[in-house]
Amino acid sequence: MSPSSSRTRNIFEPLDTSFVDLWGERFGIPSSAFAGFTFFRKANSVWAANEAILPRLSYEAIGMRIMNLKDRPWKPTTSALQVFGRHATRNLIHLDSANSRSFMEGKTLAIESDSESGYVVVFYRGEVLGCGLYSHGKLVSQIPKERRMASSKNGAEESADQNAKDEVASEMPIDMR
Amino acid sequence: MEWLERYRDLIPDFDGFRAVQSQALPSSCRINTLKIERCALLDRFAENGIDYQSFNWYPLGLKLDMESPGKLVENLSGFIHIQEELSMVPPLVLDPQPGELVLDLCASPGSKTCQISQMMKNLGRVIANEPSLARIAPLRSNCERLGVMNVAITRYDGRRFPSRPVQFDRVLVDAPCSSEGRERRGPGVLCKSSSKRSMDLHRLQADLLRNAIRLTKPGGIVVYSTCTYAPEENELVIESVLETARLERISIPGLLACPGITEWGGINLNHEVEKTARYYPHLNDTGGFFVAKLIKNQEYI
Repeated sequence: MSPSSSRTRNIFEPLDTSFVDLWGERFGIPSSAFAGFTFFRKANSVWAANEAILPRLSYEAIGMRIMNLKDRPWKPTTSALQVFGRHATRNLIHLDSANSRSFMEGKTLAIESDSESGYVVVFYRGEVLGCGLYSHGKLVSQIPKERRMASSKNGAEESADQNAKDEVASEMPIDMR
Repeated sequence: MEWLERYRDLIPDFDGFRAVQSQALPSSCRINTLKIERCALLDRFAENGIDYQSFNWYPLGLKLDMESPGKLVENLSGFIHIQEELSMVPPLVLDPQPGELVLDLCASPGSKTCQISQMMKNLGRVIANEPSLARIAPLRSNCERLGVMNVAITRYDGRRFPSRPVQFDRVLVDAPCSSEGRERRGPGVLCKSSSKRSMDLHRLQADLLRNAIRLTKPGGIVVYSTCTYAPEENELVIESVLETARLERISIPGLLACPGITEWGGINLNHEVEKTARYYPHLNDTGGFFVAKLIKNQEYI
């Protein structure tokens, strides 16, 4: 990559809509769910904004960051799933009341699901809570730290959660990583 | 607190004003209609046993009688946003419409930005400008939590925000200020207050407002707001731009306001500035705020 490439300059490049197929493949979200939006790539992230005038200025953010492409598999943001996730038809998990609270606290849950290993859309009472990472009966909450409910657990358990997350990732089939 | 004595002749029922300063400000939130309907949110609150009281003047504003409302799952999930009652006034005065191009010149942490976005139904474009890098993260975080899709964030010095290539339909200048109206949120803001500080802020505020007017289409709307009582940062700033814009009177049914003052320090101000609005904590059980609505002159490019 040349030093002058926009990737290294970290600016927003307009992106065509071909990547929305990824959302279809993983979650069954139809491309029509993304109608009316425009997309950008900045470094390893994809951003979505409504279609409207965008003056030629230097931007820190345009709309919402919806995907992280840094790792394999790509990761949807919780914010994006709260907007687009309700259209999902597969790789989704519905939680009961007690589990939804634990999920919002950022915990790892023991859940049996027929979802494929990898990122899933997590629902409670028909509402999208956010992104989870599922593998072999374990669901690791991906709710960002600042949006988690207060939890009673201590720091040692926090790091146990991180271990659980790494474990789930390492159990995923290679093509998913 | 002695600093506030300078407003004794300016604020009605000054003793009542002083008495309310020692009472903590009630918590409040705004319903985020980008993610939930008002009635659905109220059903949730009823189900979860959360007490609230609707504002008299704004159906999307609720007073909450609780500690740490920020920890409510409704807040973490973006159905509500914890926002001070009077902080919801400037966007209402700005009155942005779906499809317009709007600038929030001093945006972080984005409470008003997101309110503007929801008033525009996530359509059109809001440019949220914030010069401080450290304050970009909370601005972004609030926009994303609240499901905002029509905001783009820039990081210019507001005094030099580029006047090309476009002009805005509406611009909000929620200016940095001495924050005297926030005393009820925690004592301490007043110990930094001084005439010199207010005059230094006056220069910054007047430069921001001048640029905001330049950035607005002729006939477009500029709203200027602060959370302070100091006339140096309020009426005196407005008076400095009256050659390029005219004032429109502000009236919000259900919310008591006092007119802008037309005399300060023995000097008479342009009488027009009485069309601005001063909100005092003891009149509505809120913080303190100042809001002015300006229409840019047609002949001023």
